[in-house]
Amino acid sequence: MLASSSTYLGQTMQPDRETQATETSTGWADKDGFIGPYRPGTGPRSDPRGTFPTGPDVGSKMPNIVCKTSDNLDFDLHAQQNGQPAVFIFFRSAVW
Amino acid sequence: MPEFEAAGIAVFALSYDEAIALEDFRAAHGITFTLLSDPESAVIRAFGILNTLIDSSDHPWFGIPYPGAYVVDAEGTITHKFFDSNLAVRAGPEQLLRAVTKRSKEAMAVTSQTPTPTAGDVQMTIAFDGDHLTAVVQRDLVVQLEIPEGKHVYAAPAPAGSVAVDVILDNNNALVARSLQRPKATPHTLSGSGEEFLVHQGSIELRLPLTMNAADDLKPLQLSGEVCWQSCDDEVCDLPVRERFLLTIPVAAPPAMALQGPGAEIEPNAMGHFQYMTKRRKDPQPQSEQ
Repeated sequence: MLASSSTYLGQTMQPDRETQATETSTGWADKDGFIGPYRPGTGPRSDPRGTFPTGPDVGSKMPNIVCKTSDNLDFDLHAQQNGQPAVFIFFRSAVW
Repeated sequence: MPEFEAAGIAVFALSYDEAIALEDFRAAHGITFTLLSDPESAVIRAFGILNTLIDSSDHPWFGIPYPGAYVVDAEGTITHKFFDSNLAVRAGPEQLLRAVTKRSKEAMAVTSQTPTPTAGDVQMTIAFDGDHLTAVVQRDLVVQLEIPEGKHVYAAPAPAGSVAVDVILDNNNALVARSLQRPKATPHTLSGSGEEFLVHQGSIELRLPLTMNAADDLKPLQLSGEVCWQSCDDEVCDLPVRERFLLTIPVAAPPAMALQGPGAEIEPNAMGHFQYMTKRRKDPQPQSEQ
Protein backbone atom coordinates (compact mmCIF):
# COMPACT_ATOMS: atom_id res chain seq x y z
CA MET A 1 0.00 0.00 0.00
CA LEU A 2 1.35 3.40 -0.89
CA ALA A 3 1.70 5.76 2.01
CA SER A 4 -0.61 8.71 1.87
CA SER A 5 0.66 12.22 1.29
CA SER A 6 2.64 14.25 3.82
CA THR A 7 0.69 16.77 5.84
CA TYR A 8 1.98 19.76 7.75
CA LEU A 9 -0.29 22.38 9.29
CA GLY A 10 -3.17 21.04 7.25
CA GLN A 11 -1.35 21.34 3.95
CA THR A 12 -1.08 18.10 2.05
CA MET A 13 1.39 17.37 -0.67
CA GLN A 14 2.20 14.19 -2.57
CA PRO A 15 5.08 14.78 -4.97
CA ASP A 16 5.68 12.95 -8.20
CA ARG A 17 8.36 10.28 -8.29
CA GLU A 18 11.57 10.89 -10.20
CA THR A 19 12.24 7.76 -12.23
CA GLN A 20 14.88 8.78 -14.74
CA ALA A 21 17.62 6.15 -14.52
CA THR A 22 20.58 4.92 -16.52
CA GLU A 23 22.41 1.70 -15.82
CA THR A 24 26.19 2.07 -15.69
CA SER A 25 29.07 -0.32 -15.11
CA THR A 26 29.18 0.68 -11.43
CA GLY A 27 25.50 1.08 -10.61
CA TRP A 28 22.49 3.19 -11.49
CA ALA A 29 22.84 6.85 -12.40
CA ASP A 30 20.05 9.29 -11.69
CA LYS A 31 19.10 12.40 -13.66
CA ASP A 32 21.95 14.37 -12.09
CA GLY A 33 24.55 11.65 -12.65
CA PHE A 34 24.71 10.41 -9.07
CA ILE A 35 25.51 6.69 -9.12
CA GLY A 36 24.29 4.20 -6.52
CA PRO A 37 23.45 0.52 -6.17
CA TYR A 38 19.67 1.07 -6.19
CA ARG A 39 17.71 2.03 -9.25
CA PRO A 40 16.51 5.65 -9.01
CA GLY A 41 12.82 5.74 -8.19
CA THR A 42 12.98 2.72 -5.88
CA GLY A 43 13.62 2.09 -2.16
CA PRO A 44 16.01 4.59 -0.60
CA ARG A 45 16.33 6.38 -3.94
CA SER A 46 12.67 7.41 -4.00
CA ASP A 47 13.39 10.99 -4.99
CA PRO A 48 10.64 13.51 -5.64
CA ARG A 49 10.30 15.26 -8.97
CA GLY A 50 9.66 18.97 -8.62
CA THR A 51 8.09 20.42 -5.52
CA PHE A 52 8.06 18.26 -2.41
CA PRO A 53 7.27 18.87 1.29
CA THR A 54 10.01 20.50 3.33
CA GLY A 55 8.12 21.08 6.56
CA PRO A 56 7.85 24.27 8.58
CA ASP A 57 8.62 27.51 6.80
CA VAL A 58 11.44 29.93 7.31
CA GLY A 59 10.20 32.58 9.73
CA SER A 60 8.08 30.17 11.75
CA LYS A 61 8.89 28.80 15.19
CA MET A 62 10.72 25.49 15.24
CA PRO A 63 8.15 22.83 16.20
CA ASN A 64 8.85 20.79 19.30
CA ILE A 65 10.85 17.59 19.05
CA VAL A 66 10.19 14.93 21.66
CA CYS A 67 12.11 11.69 21.34
CA LYS A 68 15.11 9.79 22.71
CA THR A 69 18.77 10.61 22.29
CA SER A 70 21.23 7.98 21.08
CA ASP A 71 22.11 7.27 24.70
CA ASN A 72 18.42 6.69 25.39
CA LEU A 73 17.77 9.88 27.36
CA ASP A 74 14.53 11.84 27.01
CA PHE A 75 14.78 14.80 24.68
CA ASP A 76 12.24 17.65 24.67
CA LEU A 77 13.42 20.55 22.55
CA HIS A 78 11.09 23.20 23.90
CA ALA A 79 11.72 22.20 27.51
CA GLN A 80 15.46 22.57 27.18
CA GLN A 81 15.87 25.44 24.73
CA ASN A 82 18.62 27.63 26.08
CA GLY A 83 18.69 30.61 23.77
CA GLN A 84 21.37 29.10 21.57
CA PRO A 85 21.23 29.04 17.77
CA ALA A 86 20.97 25.52 16.46
CA VAL A 87 21.10 23.35 13.38
CA PHE A 88 18.67 20.44 13.06
CA ILE A 89 19.61 17.82 10.49
CA PHE A 90 17.08 15.22 9.36
CA PHE A 91 18.94 12.37 7.70
CA ARG A 92 17.90 9.02 6.32
CA SER A 93 19.87 6.48 8.32
CA ALA A 94 23.06 5.89 10.24
CA VAL A 95 22.88 2.20 9.39
CA TRP A 96 22.70 2.01 5.59
CA MET B 1 32.30 19.97 14.62
CA PRO B 2 34.62 22.35 16.45
CA GLU B 3 33.62 25.32 14.27
CA PHE B 4 30.01 24.96 15.39
CA GLU B 5 30.99 24.64 19.03
CA ALA B 6 33.26 27.67 18.76
CA ALA B 7 30.39 29.67 17.26
CA GLY B 8 28.02 28.58 20.05
CA ILE B 9 25.76 26.64 17.69
CA ALA B 10 24.09 23.47 18.91
CA VAL B 11 23.84 20.64 16.38
CA PHE B 12 21.18 17.94 16.42
CA ALA B 13 20.78 15.15 13.89
CA LEU B 14 17.65 13.00 13.77
CA SER B 15 16.94 9.76 11.93
CA TYR B 16 14.50 6.86 12.12
CA ASP B 17 17.19 4.53 13.49
CA GLU B 18 16.92 2.88 16.89
CA ALA B 19 18.86 4.63 19.66
CA ILE B 20 21.32 1.75 19.94
CA ALA B 21 22.11 1.96 16.22
CA LEU B 22 22.75 5.69 16.53
CA GLU B 23 24.91 5.09 19.59
CA ASP B 24 27.07 2.63 17.64
CA PHE B 25 27.29 5.19 14.85
CA ARG B 26 28.25 7.92 17.31
CA ALA B 27 30.93 5.81 18.92
CA ALA B 28 32.34 4.59 15.59
CA HIS B 29 32.73 8.07 14.16
CA GLY B 30 33.52 10.05 17.30
CA ILE B 31 30.44 12.24 16.92
CA THR B 32 30.14 14.91 19.60
CA PHE B 33 26.78 16.47 18.69
CA THR B 34 23.40 15.12 19.76
CA LEU B 35 21.86 12.26 17.78
CA LEU B 36 18.10 11.86 18.06
CA SER B 37 16.21 8.62 17.55
CA ASP B 38 12.76 8.65 15.94
CA PRO B 39 12.12 4.95 15.23
CA GLU B 40 8.37 5.38 14.66
CA SER B 41 9.03 8.45 12.48
CA ALA B 42 6.70 10.41 14.77
CA VAL B 43 8.78 13.58 14.59
CA ILE B 44 9.37 13.13 10.88
CA ARG B 45 5.60 12.84 10.32
CA ALA B 46 4.87 15.81 12.58
CA PHE B 47 7.22 17.91 10.46
CA GLY B 48 5.40 16.70 7.34
CA ILE B 49 8.60 15.45 5.70
CA LEU B 50 7.97 11.69 5.68
CA ASN B 51 9.03 10.34 2.29
CA THR B 52 5.64 9.11 1.15
CA LEU B 53 6.98 7.91 -2.17
CA ILE B 54 8.16 4.83 -0.28
CA ASP B 55 5.58 2.12 0.06
CA SER B 56 4.78 1.32 3.70
CA SER B 57 5.53 -2.34 2.96
CA ASP B 58 8.95 -1.47 1.55
CA HIS B 59 11.11 -2.51 4.48
CA PRO B 60 13.26 -1.13 5.91
CA TRP B 61 13.21 2.07 3.90
CA PHE B 62 9.72 3.16 4.90
CA GLY B 63 9.81 5.88 7.55
CA ILE B 64 12.71 7.96 6.28
CA PRO B 65 12.34 11.72 5.80
CA TYR B 66 13.13 13.84 2.83
CA PRO B 67 16.55 14.69 4.21
CA GLY B 68 17.26 18.29 5.01
CA ALA B 69 18.30 20.77 7.64
CA TYR B 70 16.78 23.68 9.55
CA VAL B 71 18.77 26.53 11.01
CA VAL B 72 17.17 28.11 14.08
CA ASP B 73 18.14 31.36 15.79
CA ALA B 74 18.47 31.93 19.54
CA GLU B 75 14.73 32.75 19.77
CA GLY B 76 13.75 29.43 18.19
CA THR B 77 12.75 30.86 14.81
CA ILE B 78 13.70 29.02 11.63
CA THR B 79 15.97 31.32 9.64
CA HIS B 80 17.07 28.96 6.86
CA LYS B 81 16.29 25.52 5.58
CA PHE B 82 18.14 23.28 3.20
CA PHE B 83 16.40 20.59 1.15
CA ASP B 84 17.23 19.22 -2.30
CA SER B 85 14.99 17.11 -4.52
CA ASN B 86 17.95 14.84 -5.16
CA LEU B 87 18.19 12.94 -1.91
CA ALA B 88 21.91 12.40 -2.50
CA VAL B 89 22.62 16.10 -1.93
CA ARG B 90 23.24 17.45 1.57
CA ALA B 91 24.01 20.95 2.74
CA GLY B 92 27.69 21.18 3.57
CA PRO B 93 28.94 22.29 6.98
CA GLU B 94 30.14 25.61 5.58
CA GLN B 95 26.66 26.33 4.20
CA LEU B 96 25.05 25.56 7.56
CA LEU B 97 27.63 27.54 9.50
CA ARG B 98 27.32 30.50 7.17
CA ALA B 99 23.55 30.54 7.75
CA VAL B 100 24.24 31.41 11.37
CA THR B 101 27.53 33.25 11.27
CA LYS B 102 28.87 35.44 8.50
CA ARG B 103 31.89 33.56 7.19
CA SER B 104 34.65 35.81 6.01
CA LYS B 105 36.37 35.58 2.67
CA GLU B 106 39.50 34.55 4.52
CA ALA B 107 37.68 31.50 5.90
CA MET B 108 37.25 30.08 2.44
CA ALA B 109 39.90 27.50 1.84
CA VAL B 110 40.67 27.41 -1.88
CA THR B 111 41.04 30.77 -3.61
CA SER B 112 42.07 31.58 -7.15
CA GLN B 113 44.49 34.26 -8.12
CA THR B 114 42.73 37.56 -8.37
CA PRO B 115 43.26 39.47 -11.60
CA THR B 116 45.12 42.72 -11.10
CA PRO B 117 42.44 45.38 -11.19
CA THR B 118 42.72 48.41 -13.36
CA ALA B 119 41.58 51.66 -11.81
CA GLY B 120 37.86 52.04 -12.34
CA ASP B 121 37.33 48.38 -13.22
CA VAL B 122 35.28 45.78 -11.45
CA GLN B 123 37.49 43.61 -9.24
CA MET B 124 36.71 39.91 -9.00
CA THR B 125 37.79 37.31 -6.48
CA ILE B 126 36.77 33.69 -6.60
CA ALA B 127 36.99 31.07 -3.88
CA PHE B 128 35.74 27.64 -2.91
CA ASP B 129 34.01 27.66 0.46
CA GLY B 130 35.43 24.46 1.88
CA ASP B 131 38.71 22.60 1.95
CA HIS B 132 37.65 19.67 -0.22
CA LEU B 133 34.90 18.07 -2.28
CA THR B 134 33.38 14.72 -1.47
CA ALA B 135 30.32 12.85 -2.66
CA VAL B 136 26.94 13.97 -1.27
CA VAL B 137 28.20 17.09 0.57
CA GLN B 138 27.33 20.36 -1.16
CA ARG B 139 29.76 23.27 -1.04
CA ASP B 140 29.78 26.67 -2.72
CA LEU B 141 31.91 28.27 -5.38
CA VAL B 142 31.92 31.91 -4.31
CA VAL B 143 32.40 34.89 -6.61
CA GLN B 144 32.77 38.35 -5.19
CA LEU B 145 32.70 41.50 -7.30
CA GLU B 146 33.74 44.93 -6.12
CA ILE B 147 31.95 47.40 -8.36
CA PRO B 148 33.42 50.93 -8.37
CA GLU B 149 31.25 53.76 -7.11
CA GLY B 150 29.14 55.26 -9.86
CA LYS B 151 29.08 52.02 -11.81
CA HIS B 152 26.73 49.06 -11.89
CA VAL B 153 26.69 45.62 -13.49
CA TYR B 154 23.60 44.20 -15.12
CA ALA B 155 21.57 41.73 -13.09
CA ALA B 156 19.59 38.97 -14.76
CA PRO B 157 17.75 39.43 -17.01
CA ALA B 158 19.95 41.98 -18.76
CA PRO B 159 18.56 44.34 -21.40
CA ALA B 160 18.71 43.02 -24.95
CA GLY B 161 22.26 43.07 -26.29
CA SER B 162 23.83 43.35 -22.82
CA VAL B 163 25.39 40.74 -20.52
CA ALA B 164 24.14 39.96 -17.02
CA VAL B 165 26.55 38.86 -14.32
CA ASP B 166 26.83 35.07 -14.41
CA VAL B 167 29.04 32.15 -13.41
CA ILE B 168 29.39 29.45 -16.04
CA LEU B 169 31.19 26.19 -15.28
CA ASP B 170 32.99 24.29 -17.98
CA ASN B 171 31.40 20.92 -18.63
CA ASN B 172 32.43 18.55 -15.85
CA ASN B 173 30.72 15.20 -15.43
CA ALA B 174 32.02 14.86 -11.87
CA LEU B 175 30.02 17.82 -10.63
CA VAL B 176 26.37 18.66 -10.16
CA ALA B 177 25.68 22.38 -9.91
CA ARG B 178 22.49 23.91 -8.56
CA SER B 179 21.08 27.33 -9.41
CA LEU B 180 23.39 30.30 -8.97
CA GLN B 181 22.47 32.23 -5.84
CA ARG B 182 22.47 35.90 -6.76
CA PRO B 183 22.19 38.93 -4.52
CA LYS B 184 19.01 40.97 -4.62
CA ALA B 185 19.08 43.31 -7.61
CA THR B 186 17.97 46.92 -7.52
CA PRO B 187 16.02 48.76 -10.21
CA HIS B 188 18.00 51.42 -12.03
CA THR B 189 16.61 54.11 -14.31
CA LEU B 190 18.74 55.80 -16.95
CA SER B 191 18.56 59.53 -16.46
CA GLY B 192 18.40 60.24 -20.20
CA SER B 193 16.04 57.69 -21.71
CA GLY B 194 14.16 56.75 -18.58
CA GLU B 195 14.82 53.10 -19.40
CA GLU B 196 14.62 50.87 -16.31
CA PHE B 197 16.48 47.61 -15.66
CA LEU B 198 17.93 45.61 -12.77
CA VAL B 199 21.51 46.12 -11.60
CA HIS B 200 23.96 45.30 -8.86
CA GLN B 201 26.14 47.95 -7.23
CA GLY B 202 28.86 48.02 -4.58
CA SER B 203 30.15 44.70 -3.22
CA ILE B 204 28.21 41.65 -4.34
CA GLU B 205 28.58 37.92 -3.78
CA LEU B 206 27.29 35.07 -5.94
CA ARG B 207 27.30 31.43 -4.85
CA LEU B 208 27.13 28.34 -7.01
CA PRO B 209 26.30 25.22 -4.95
CA LEU B 210 28.28 22.20 -6.14
CA THR B 211 28.19 18.50 -5.28
CA MET B 212 30.43 15.72 -6.54
CA ASN B 213 28.47 12.84 -7.95
CA ALA B 214 31.09 10.12 -7.80
CA ALA B 215 34.83 9.78 -7.60
CA ASP B 216 36.63 6.90 -9.27
CA ASP B 217 39.79 8.16 -7.63
CA LEU B 218 40.77 10.88 -5.21
CA LYS B 219 42.71 13.05 -7.63
CA PRO B 220 42.17 16.78 -7.06
CA LEU B 221 39.39 18.16 -9.21
CA GLN B 222 40.00 20.94 -11.69
CA LEU B 223 37.15 23.41 -11.36
CA SER B 224 37.12 25.79 -14.29
CA GLY B 225 34.81 28.17 -16.03
CA GLU B 226 34.21 31.85 -16.48
CA VAL B 227 32.56 34.74 -14.72
CA CYS B 228 30.97 37.30 -16.99
CA TRP B 229 29.62 40.76 -16.37
CA GLN B 230 29.17 44.10 -18.05
CA SER B 231 29.68 47.29 -16.11
CA CYS B 232 28.25 50.67 -16.98
CA ASP B 233 27.75 54.11 -15.59
CA ASP B 234 24.82 56.30 -16.54
CA GLU B 235 26.40 57.25 -19.84
CA VAL B 236 28.68 54.52 -21.08
CA CYS B 237 28.85 50.73 -20.92
CA ASP B 238 32.18 48.93 -20.93
CA LEU B 239 32.65 45.92 -23.14
CA PRO B 240 31.46 42.67 -21.54
CA VAL B 241 34.14 40.90 -19.48
CA ARG B 242 34.60 37.13 -19.44
CA GLU B 243 37.12 36.25 -16.74
CA ARG B 244 38.39 32.67 -16.78
CA PHE B 245 39.10 30.83 -13.53
CA LEU B 246 40.71 27.55 -12.56
CA LEU B 247 40.69 26.18 -9.03
CA THR B 248 42.17 22.89 -7.93
CA ILE B 249 39.97 21.34 -5.26
CA PRO B 250 41.17 18.42 -3.12
CA VAL B 251 38.87 15.39 -3.20
CA ALA B 252 38.20 13.22 -0.15
CA ALA B 253 36.72 9.75 0.11
CA PRO B 254 33.02 9.65 0.93
CA PRO B 255 31.99 8.69 4.46
CA ALA B 256 32.30 4.99 5.18
CA MET B 257 29.09 3.03 4.69
CA ALA B 258 28.22 0.90 7.64
CA LEU B 259 27.09 -2.07 5.57
CA GLN B 260 29.93 -2.20 3.08
CA GLY B 261 33.59 -1.40 2.68
CA PRO B 262 35.57 -0.10 5.62
CA GLY B 263 32.39 0.82 7.45
CA ALA B 264 31.76 -2.84 8.06
CA GLU B 265 34.88 -2.90 10.24
CA ILE B 266 34.13 0.40 11.93
CA GLU B 267 30.58 -0.59 12.77
CA PRO B 268 30.44 -4.37 13.20
CA ASN B 269 26.84 -4.21 14.49
CA ALA B 270 25.45 -2.40 11.46
CA MET B 271 24.15 -5.49 9.68
CA GLY B 272 22.42 -6.62 12.87
CA HIS B 273 20.76 -3.22 13.19
CA PHE B 274 19.67 -3.38 9.55
CA GLN B 275 18.14 -6.82 9.96
CA TYR B 276 16.36 -5.75 13.14
CA MET B 277 14.97 -2.63 11.48
CA THR B 278 13.66 -4.70 8.60
CA LYS B 279 12.02 -7.21 10.92
CA ARG B 280 10.55 -4.62 13.27
CA ARG B 281 8.93 -2.72 10.42
CA LYS B 282 7.29 -5.85 9.07
CA ASP B 283 5.51 -6.53 12.32
CA PRO B 284 3.55 -4.63 13.34
CA GLN B 285 2.55 -2.45 10.42
CA PRO B 286 2.76 1.28 11.08
CA GLN B 287 -0.44 2.54 12.73
CA SER B 288 -0.45 5.87 10.96
CA GLU B 289 0.72 6.74 7.51
CA GLN B 290 0.30 10.47 7.53
